[in-house]
Amino acid sequence: MKLLFNRVFDGAAEMYAKAESEVSAVIAELGESAPMKMPDTAYHLSCIYAYLGRKVTTLGELREALTEVKSKMTSNQRLKDAFSSGIGTAIAAEIIEAAKYARNAAPYEGTKYHGHFSDAEVRELGVPLVTRDIPGFVVIIGPAPSQEEAVELIKGYQSRGIFAFLIGGIIDQAIGGGVGLGFPVRVVPVGEDIWSVGHIISLVVRAAMIFGAVQPGDWEEFNEYSFHRIFAFVNAFAPVPDITVACGGGAIAMGFPVITDDENDIWVVPKSLIIQKNTKDFIETSLEARDIKIKVTNIDIPVAFSSAFEGEIIRRKEMRVDIDGATTDCFELVRMRDLADVEDHKIVVDGPDIDAVEVGGKMQLGTIVEVAGKNMQSDFEPVLERKFHAFLNCIEGVMHTGQRDMIRVRLSNTAYDAGFRVRHFGEVLYAKLKSDYDAVIDKVQITLVTDPAKLKALRAEANKSYDARDERLKNLTDESVEVFYNCIMCQSFSPSHVCVVTPERLGLCGAVSWLDAKATNELDPNGPCQLVTKKNVIDENLGAYEDINESVAKYSHGALTNVTLYSILQDPMTSCGCFECICGIEPLSNGVSIVNREHMGMTPLGMTFSEMASMTGGGVQTPGFMGHGKHFIASKKFLKAEGGIARIVWLPKDLKEQVRDKLNATAKDLYGIDGFADMIADESVVEEDPEALLAFLTEKGHPVLSMEPLM
Amino acid sequence: MPKANHFTTIEQMEADSARLRETACEVCAETYEDRVKTQTPHCKFGEDGICCKNCSMGPCRITSKAPRGICGADAHAIAGRNYLRAIAAGTASHSDHAREILHVLRDTKPEGPYIVRDEKKLVRLAAEWGVATDGRDIYEIAHDVASVGLLEFGKPDGFQLFSRRAPKERQELWEREGIMPRAIDREIATAMHMTHMGNTADAESLVRQGLRTGLSNGWGGSMIGTEITDILFGTPTVWTTEGNLGVLEADQVNLVVHGHDPAFSEMVVTAAEDKELVNYARSKGIKGINVVGLCCTANEVAMRHGVRMAGNFLQQENVILTGACDLMCVDIQCIFPALPALAQCFHTKFVTSSPIARIPGAIHIEFHPETAYEQAKEIVKMAIDNYERRDASKVYIPESKQQATVGYPTEQIIKHLDTITNSHLDELGSYRPAIDAIKAGVLRGAVAIVGCNNPRVRPDYSHFEIMKELIENDVLIVATGCAAQMATKAGLLNKDAKYACGDGLRRVCELLDIPPILHMGACVDISRMMLLAAGIAEDWGVKLTEIPVVGCAPEWMSEKAVSIANYVVSTGLDVYLGIEPQVKGSSQMMELITEGTRKITGGGFIISTDPHVLVKNILDGLEVKRAALGI
Repeated sequence: MKLLFNRVFDGAAEMYAKAESEVSAVIAELGESAPMKMPDTAYHLSCIYAYLGRKVTTLGELREALTEVKSKMTSNQRLKDAFSSGIGTAIAAEIIEAAKYARNAAPYEGTKYHGHFSDAEVRELGVPLVTRDIPGFVVIIGPAPSQEEAVELIKGYQSRGIFAFLIGGIIDQAIGGGVGLGFPVRVVPVGEDIWSVGHIISLVVRAAMIFGAVQPGDWEEFNEYSFHRIFAFVNAFAPVPDITVACGGGAIAMGFPVITDDENDIWVVPKSLIIQKNTKDFIETSLEARDIKIKVTNIDIPVAFSSAFEGEIIRRKEMRVDIDGATTDCFELVRMRDLADVEDHKIVVDGPDIDAVEVGGKMQLGTIVEVAGKNMQSDFEPVLERKFHAFLNCIEGVMHTGQRDMIRVRLSNTAYDAGFRVRHFGEVLYAKLKSDYDAVIDKVQITLVTDPAKLKALRAEANKSYDARDERLKNLTDESVEVFYNCIMCQSFSPSHVCVVTPERLGLCGAVSWLDAKATNELDPNGPCQLVTKKNVIDENLGAYEDINESVAKYSHGALTNVTLYSILQDPMTSCGCFECICGIEPLSNGVSIVNREHMGMTPLGMTFSEMASMTGGGVQTPGFMGHGKHFIASKKFLKAEGGIARIVWLPKDLKEQVRDKLNATAKDLYGIDGFADMIADESVVEEDPEALLAFLTEKGHPVLSMEPLM
Repeated sequence: MPKANHFTTIEQMEADSARLRETACEVCAETYEDRVKTQTPHCKFGEDGICCKNCSMGPCRITSKAPRGICGADAHAIAGRNYLRAIAAGTASHSDHAREILHVLRDTKPEGPYIVRDEKKLVRLAAEWGVATDGRDIYEIAHDVASVGLLEFGKPDGFQLFSRRAPKERQELWEREGIMPRAIDREIATAMHMTHMGNTADAESLVRQGLRTGLSNGWGGSMIGTEITDILFGTPTVWTTEGNLGVLEADQVNLVVHGHDPAFSEMVVTAAEDKELVNYARSKGIKGINVVGLCCTANEVAMRHGVRMAGNFLQQENVILTGACDLMCVDIQCIFPALPALAQCFHTKFVTSSPIARIPGAIHIEFHPETAYEQAKEIVKMAIDNYERRDASKVYIPESKQQATVGYPTEQIIKHLDTITNSHLDELGSYRPAIDAIKAGVLRGAVAIVGCNNPRVRPDYSHFEIMKELIENDVLIVATGCAAQMATKAGLLNKDAKYACGDGLRRVCELLDIPPILHMGACVDISRMMLLAAGIAEDWGVKLTEIPVVGCAPEWMSEKAVSIANYVVSTGLDVYLGIEPQVKGSSQMMELITEGTRKITGGGFIISTDPHVLVKNILDGLEVKRAALGI
């Protein structure tokens, strides 16, 4: 039997030879000084940047990097050499793929392959990874023995929320088997050849830099980070050639076990290289090998339920029914009741079911969820209600948007044909509320009203509840509460970051408001959200408290000592990396530009979201840059120390529309200004020129112009 | 995350010793280092093993001009006889220790002081030894098992019962080669008889009896000692503890237990936690009672109670030299007769407890199982009362100490290996995961590092150098005795020591959550290592001689070590020695212990006093075994 390490060394040499010939060819074509850039990333060629600490910007530099890769491919009979050669193989793979991008910024456009991942995509994974909505990643290499097995495997992973990257023949099998592909449904056809693993490793090392603040060039720390924090693994179908074994060496170095059905010349290594002849057991074997435990909620519905379906889109032609809250009376409402008034698991459908609607037609739905529990508080009503979106979206064949009385729900024909009916919405909500919130909820009863005659009145009643809540929220200010909360949910992969969540400053991920944090704390008193008192004020304007400093010092394990709530310049709050928006100082106007993750374009800072984002994250303080949630933009506490929202000079148009009303209201309250949102520039007027921005602001009479210099 | 290794270097250890020697100077005490000087150069005839004083016609010494003793015995006969006598003495020591423990088992009662703690192990052993268990009281079983065990020493017929635990291939080989061990006392007596004036003069015959006598220890006395100790005091489990002189506390009563037999020290550890005594100490304004261990007694109590370890063999005088040792209680073996005199330079009370180790100048409190607890309390009280006599001007406690994770008998190793199996593929309770890691090359092999420390070389240095280089090269180490204690002092039993390992061993440490060196116990527990090796060979489906697993005793000094080396070789494993056995005066004996035994058992000695040469030999030896297996 050929020795395992020799297989790695031979495979590495093969990958290197391919990289060498690709680089020579592309240099012959374009010249050494031709630019080399991967699209939508601030991390250059990430594998090279991460492992070798080199920023490749030209093809000449790419060749130099390749030479260094060779020096890493040592071949003594030690695991160190197999690991080093394996990582070298991954870098060589990135180089082979990069050569394609040197010729064409979008080489996979119009193909079935995804290729390179943008920084935005990497960041998008942050929150679901933390919440374990994505419990792990699988890289499937091969064709499976049959299309049926391929489809079963992919769907199996999907139903467990595992993000699947596909390489090679399995992609055509997936397409042939009708599996929906794409980043939103968490099944990505990366590429045809084994070297497309370079894109996956690039994603992994960027996660380490973004969320873990791992420093480029710190080879060992990258492996340590992925080993302990990225729950990935590989499924490789027989036959597994040396070149794939070499990639496997890299994967195992990063802590990702390889599970294969190939028995030839494969050496078993516990928890690392595993032979599972029965491909039907791939999933369970793999999950155990990577210590991934899936929380299973058994829900009595005829379709699958998994976070993998969260991003599923139901198009009009696939739609059985459209529940449209924009034009009709629909709503979702959680009400707290006394224990005696709630009958657990009672689900009532009041009105006609879906069968009564013609295919593709509209129907109305009012969802009233009554909960009771000894530890339940009315403040948790909106927290629970906001979860409906995530719960219902996880149903295969259901798409849900919006909240309150502005919802839209679509159900696919397939789901309907499988037997899905209105009561199943109730089953899902019941099961999820009871399992996720068992510490505060003892009983749940659900009424699903579809009778249009009753809905008008019910909606009006619901609106009274929403109004009452808004009134309560308005009074919920940083000053009016006794305590704040910290949130360290992200520490599973951003070990030194601590969020401090206040009523007027929600977590930077946008997913944790003060009420969420409060509920989390009540649900699990020793969990990720802990009380932060606010007894010892250092500086109210900065939002500096001794209590906060003590808390961040404790929970960042000493990495952070001082954090302010309201300043971007003095001890700004850190980021894990999964912030919704990033805000950076625009020096010419003395203001700040804010850009959200979805915005791909340039900003007046001369940097894209990715580039700005790469300045912060990983729990590191970078004065002048700050990650935050979308809802923080219109807060009265936004940059309070620097003068508040009047500092905002630029926002992407989409984002501006989302926050317009609240922004205007806050500006009116704080400065007595009307129509503030219109004074803020966006990409339709200024894309990146600070001079043009200043001209625009002057023209609009933006208040920032009369404010004190920031620095 | 701490990545760096903060090992305590040999230089630091030596600096601590040097500082304590200053104290020794001040109190006009001598230490082993002074005596090394007065004993150097050592007697060349003794060193070479060619001085015979087995009869009163002699002593006879062999030189080129006098190649035979008065009776005609040549260098080979004399060196061979001396060598066999050392094996007999070593076997007697481990085995008599085991016998004592069996007596304790026979005296167990439900109401104590000695009880059965590991009933499962007792029942398993009873089944193995043919003692009826069904429906019987556990103490009846215990007493019968003890009786069967005691018969292993003097039964007129048959072989050691534990020899059946060895792989079939070994058992057949032992029988074929005539080295299957009979009753333990018989092997010792035969060895003594053969070496009596006028008996065996054939070196090979002496060596063969050495192998058999050794086997009666490794697969007899020592294994009985280990098994019964587990039954009495519990099979060890994983503990995090600390080691080196820094475990002595300036503001607590320091009571040091030293020796090898845990029967009494177990009671002392328990007595020190007795509320009455703790309160008594507090009433005197003392913060607490700090029991720490020395030598193999330390290993025993560390892996059963997490008791901290003050150090290994050559550290025994240092402990007293700190001026902070209020009482040292010793049992058997490796106890310097120098200690009572040294203790008299301080306030330290020195207590002997066994009739096997009586030393002039000591307070003797002879331990009896039935009164053990009361006696232990008396000793703890004596320590408390002595605390106030401590002379602050003489106290210096070095700060050096390291965290250590200890307690990996075979049961714990299997338990840890179970955690890296895959329930969809693998069976539990096997060495298979370790074997797979070795086969794939992730681990290059395993080395059992055992034995004492020895001023013939730079003490502890050989251990440290060999251990560091092996773990860098992905070789897993199992250690017992003073070797394990050395690893403790250095910080090699800290889980962070994984950062000093090659990537293969480091990954194994991370997956199993273990340090790279597994502490398996006291020197008597080398029997555990034999079971480990045998288990690996059996699960692998190859012979013991084929697996890339070897033994190494870098700084051995005692006769027990000679006996151990012989049973390890008989078990089929090579043994790498950093100290030359005292047979150099005989070319035949040198050939017999290195290559001769290899023809008989498949294992032999590889000797070098240079640790760097020795470790290279080990690594090469492992690779040769790997190549032969096609891995």
